Amino acid sequence: MGKKVLEVKDLVTTFRIDKKEYEVLRGVSFDIEENETLCMVGESGCGKSVTTLSIMDLLPGNGRVVSGSIKLNGQELTTMSPRERNAVRGKQMGMIFQEPMTALNPLLTIGRQMTEELILHRNMSKKEAYDTAVGYLEKVGIANPADRMKQFPFQLSGGLRQRIMIAMVMAVKPSLLIADEPTTALDVTIQKQVLVLLNKLKKDVSTGVLFITHDLGVVAEIADRVVILYSGRKVEEGSIGAIFSKPLHPYTIGLMRAVPNVDEDSFDIQPIPGTFPNITEEIGGCRFHPRCPYATDRCRAEVPAELEVEPGHLVCCHKVAEEYGKEGHR
Amino acid sequence: MSGERKKLLELKKLKKYFPVRRGVNIKAVEDVTFSIYEGEKFGVVGESGCGKSTLGRVILQLYPQTSGACIYYGRTRDEMCPKYLAKEVARLPAYQKAAVDFYQKSVGVEKKADVLRGEIEALSALGSDKEVKKEAKLQKKLSELEFQARELRKDASRQLREGSRTVGSLILCKDLPKIQALFDQAQKATAAAASAMKKFREYEKQYEEGRVDGAPDSGLKAKMDAARAEADRLVETSRNYRLQAFRDYRGKDVLPITERTQDPAYQAKLDGNYETGINLGKLTGDEMRELRREMQMIFQDPAASLDPRQSVGKSIEEVFVINTDFPAEVRREKTMDLLEKVGLKREHYYSYPNALSGGQKQRVGIARAIALDTKFVVLDESVSALDVSVQAQILQLLNELSAEKHLTYFFITHDLGVVKHFCDRILVMYLGNACELADSKALFHTPLHPYTESLLASVPRLKVGQEHSTESVLEGDVPSAMTPPSGCPFHTRCARCMDICSREKPLMKEREPGHFVACHLYDKEKGAPRS
Repeated sequence: MGKKVLEVKDLVTTFRIDKKEYEVLRGVSFDIEENETLCMVGESGCGKSVTTLSIMDLLPGNGRVVSGSIKLNGQELTTMSPRERNAVRGKQMGMIFQEPMTALNPLLTIGRQMTEELILHRNMSKKEAYDTAVGYLEKVGIANPADRMKQFPFQLSGGLRQRIMIAMVMAVKPSLLIADEPTTALDVTIQKQVLVLLNKLKKDVSTGVLFITHDLGVVAEIADRVVILYSGRKVEEGSIGAIFSKPLHPYTIGLMRAVPNVDEDSFDIQPIPGTFPNITEEIGGCRFHPRCPYATDRCRAEVPAELEVEPGHLVCCHKVAEEYGKEGHR
Repeated sequence: MSGERKKLLELKKLKKYFPVRRGVNIKAVEDVTFSIYEGEKFGVVGESGCGKSTLGRVILQLYPQTSGACIYYGRTRDEMCPKYLAKEVARLPAYQKAAVDFYQKSVGVEKKADVLRGEIEALSALGSDKEVKKEAKLQKKLSELEFQARELRKDASRQLREGSRTVGSLILCKDLPKIQALFDQAQKATAAAASAMKKFREYEKQYEEGRVDGAPDSGLKAKMDAARAEADRLVETSRNYRLQAFRDYRGKDVLPITERTQDPAYQAKLDGNYETGINLGKLTGDEMRELRREMQMIFQDPAASLDPRQSVGKSIEEVFVINTDFPAEVRREKTMDLLEKVGLKREHYYSYPNALSGGQKQRVGIARAIALDTKFVVLDESVSALDVSVQAQILQLLNELSAEKHLTYFFITHDLGVVKHFCDRILVMYLGNACELADSKALFHTPLHPYTESLLASVPRLKVGQEHSTESVLEGDVPSAMTPPSGCPFHTRCARCMDICSREKPLMKEREPGHFVACHLYDKEKGAPRS
């Protein structure tokens, strides 16, 4: 067991829309160890991005964390003042976004942007910062790093920009790296390059990674553990092996079946019926029950509790609970 | 099976360049040749910037093509009778004359080149310093002339090819005016047939309406049959004129336009160019608009293709308002039917796009595309913006619709998993060029082109167990389409690049039945055997 980098417990985040508060996260808990990649999977609107923004304290004006705790290296983040939070952000935890063009400043050279944070967070001199930045650009596989330092973001391709984002974040040596759909905007061949790079760097820097994606193929490529979110709640959590070989929650199973697999010869398209609920929709009991083929009255009335069916494999489902018995650990 | 399949679309050396500034073009689509068959789900994959979207739009004539032809067989020429046919017949002598001119010029240039060659030979015999310098100069001039001659010859055969689209190898004949006259008559008969056919359709509509009301009009039935017979007769007449032209003139009195014109193989090749379908690039705007009822497009972002201030029902109904003369209540009923057909509820008629989810919006887009008698649909990344569970729903809907309405899809995507399970045949594109075309099973089991292989290898697999890979499959980025690499466009990133790859562009060839690939690795006579 490695050191726990991030511990999130019962996190509840709400958004105010038309003077009403809506819960977007309804009590999410998970933790990440050093050197571990946790993938958070779910459809758009399930709250995966809101989770990252809650951790980074970057929620939009109408959103706020209502309750729960977020601990980074044992430090409680939710009770910190904005100034203290600022000191943590960027230094102890870094974030990579989906669209690198919007994350980079188009008016400043790559070199300026990379050295700035090193001077700020790692108290380096200009010279040191420059050398470190060049070193990290080399590390992420960029040819002629010295030339790239002089260039502006618009002169680079999408794959290069994402590499530079990764180099920027990693150069500060954060203990937590949050990557919010970092490869969704890239082509498959470039995506592969970036995933390979992340796997390599994680080993070098010994960082915990929270990786947000909706692509199960990417999950298989990069994750150690997986959390599956549905409409603001965790439905299943487990090691990558457990989730892929023995998915238990009906939603996880449906998700797996809906992905056309390149390796299989025949594929019978089996969509999950119905549509994803809006956060403003009131759904009692299990949020998935309107789309679930096994839904019972209990599912409609009662929120399923978290059950550890096997060590490290958690499921929130009445049906699974019945099959495994109340005590779990069959 | 393949013998029975009917072609719906044929692309011949289709090219699309976007000009950037003088002399600089983005070569978005480069010499793409293939056919799409009726009822087929044809997939196109490639990375962004490979020209797949441009190709889809060029087929629908949303972008005019730079050169090449896109031929549609969904309707016969006789039924449609596009205006360009008559014009092309009138232009035949111009094509022939231009070809002759170009060829004469090339002969002139050749003569000059010959003179130069003689001079060079004389100089090289002497071989002093001064002469060597002069020789190099002349050598340069010679190669310029040779290039000029080659280009002129290409121009000549291009003119002949254009002409042969209308009359086949008859473009080479001396008696062109007589052939023209025959084709003109054929054209007139076709035009008459088209109007007879129109009349028939009108009668048929009236008759059907009467039949539904319970009072079939027998007089109308007679008129209908007469119109039909008339149309058939005229089609036959026009066919006979054309046949007569071929019978009387083919291979006779062939003009020596270029050195190849006497060659029966070349004549057969020109005959092969003879078009029986409709050349979309030559249609007038009105004619293309008429065809658009059959050829539709569904876009990636469903939100962007709907008017946010128009209710869903209205935006579907608009299709009928523009293209048909149905009365309001029929239009409404048809719209309701369509909504149900694509898996929406009748209530959605009154909703606005902002109230719908992404999947529902895409369903509206599909409803609009299939509202008329659609035969061919271009789907440009239509499921890429959707979540997996919704994506599967939309794919299922598309599958059902194609089976029910016998639709043909041109499915553009970058998702190899989707394309494998949804499409029958797949084209792989790279930097505007077609790399490989095969049945989807064959493509995934035995990919031939190195690019296809690396593309397949980079797809994230739904398989766990092995250590997370730390080896990349394909290094670097896609080169710019403004200055594509010489020879094979993929050679800069190819692991099995050979000398020839940077020099010569590989041609698309059939390596196994139905499996086409453009790669030098499979040229037995040139390249090394595959390791």
